[in-house]
Amino acid sequence: MSQAGPHPDGQQMPGREGLQQRVEIRIRRLERGLLAGLWSMVLFLLVSFGAYENFSFLPELSEDFRRMLGAPPPSEMISLALVIYAFSGIVGTLARMSRNIKPFRGLMHASFFTAFYVFYYLSGVLSDNFWAVLFAGLSVMGLENYYLWAHSNEALQKEREILEGLRSGGE
Amino acid sequence: MFSSINSRAIVPVACAVTGFVIACCVLLYTFVKSDLITGEIHHAADLADTVIKSTRYAMLHDDRETLSQIINNIGDQNQVEHVRIFNKKGLIMFSRDGSEVDNFINKTAAGCNECHAESKPKRKLGAMEQARQFTNQDGHDVLAITAPIYNEPECFNAACHFHDAGQSLLGTLDIGVSQAPLKKTLTQLKGRMIMFSGMVLVLTVGAVCALLYRQVFLPIRQLVDFTEKAPGDSLDSDFPEVSGEVARLANAFKQMKARVNELEEHQAKSREVPTKETTP
Repeated sequence: MSQAGPHPDGQQMPGREGLQQRVEIRIRRLERGLLAGLWSMVLFLLVSFGAYENFSFLPELSEDFRRMLGAPPPSEMISLALVIYAFSGIVGTLARMSRNIKPFRGLMHASFFTAFYVFYYLSGVLSDNFWAVLFAGLSVMGLENYYLWAHSNEALQKEREILEGLRSGGE
Repeated sequence: MFSSINSRAIVPVACAVTGFVIACCVLLYTFVKSDLITGEIHHAADLADTVIKSTRYAMLHDDRETLSQIINNIGDQNQVEHVRIFNKKGLIMFSRDGSEVDNFINKTAAGCNECHAESKPKRKLGAMEQARQFTNQDGHDVLAITAPIYNEPECFNAACHFHDAGQSLLGTLDIGVSQAPLKKTLTQLKGRMIMFSGMVLVLTVGAVCALLYRQVFLPIRQLVDFTEKAPGDSLDSDFPEVSGEVARLANAFKQMKARVNELEEHQAKSREVPTKETTP
């Protein structure tokens, strides 16, 4: 960290300036991570809005396509999988919080909850189970995003302090 | 909002627990609703079977008067919304509602299209496929069962020889029962589940809050109050009584306070020595 990295165009950066640049890159990366968490939440809410309307904006699936997909899984199995996924998601996030392990930033949870909406839709029981997926998704993704926000804010504060120190030391 | 340790510890856990409990309650309600409706369908299918068996003797003897009376009596029951028997062509032969008799039913309507969706009608249907749910003209929610009346040896061997052996289906019984009791049960169940999950949530979140406050926040606040005392106040009195993990923190404060006292005494002594030396 105290060593300056090589400059992209091959020249060796002066120590302080290179370090400052690396801290700024880390700050930008953390800010991007925060935004990625927010985007995944927005995406999930948009999909939920579509699911609330029973995906009426999508074209009706043809019989041939449905036959190709095969029989949908029983709704009880989907619900069981949803409970297990939400439970393990919350427990996993709490465990990572207690051990201070880096949080997820990607769209993994949003993709999984979207898949639950799709399975319920194909089984024809989406309207009965919409609120369950929405609340499970909000609790898992809300906790994950809260942890991402807290973790990134702490890291950002540290990096900004380092940057401040580097800038004031350089003057 | 999340600057204090209270909100940082309690709000995320409370939100996650609340969301999970609500999701589980919705799923549980859906499971129970599905089980109750399945039970109701089987009950209605059994009722339809009982009606067919009750009318069998009158049918074998072509006793239309008795058959009509049986249909009327069943239709008069409280929960029965409609009951009718129609022949293979769809002509209503007997019905509780007299105005329906001698009219054809719509084969594309719900309840008929399970068999008549394709060009060749289906011969057999399971209990679940025989059932349909709809709201009738009076605005009542109805669960109806369409039960086929099959041709049996007693029918085509009867003296009247009205049906031949090649005819597999003689007619269909359509009976609709009110879903009002089921809806009432589901509404009661929903209310009770909301009440119990609310109580579970309040207890869980309240217990977590109370324990955190008693075991963590209160001792920390006492320690903070102690360390923020005015410089002139004595550090010996009012040291907070704490236990557990926070006790280690308190001991560290005590040791730090002892070291500060030692340093202060040492500084005081070192200040006194040169003063004595300079005194004549």
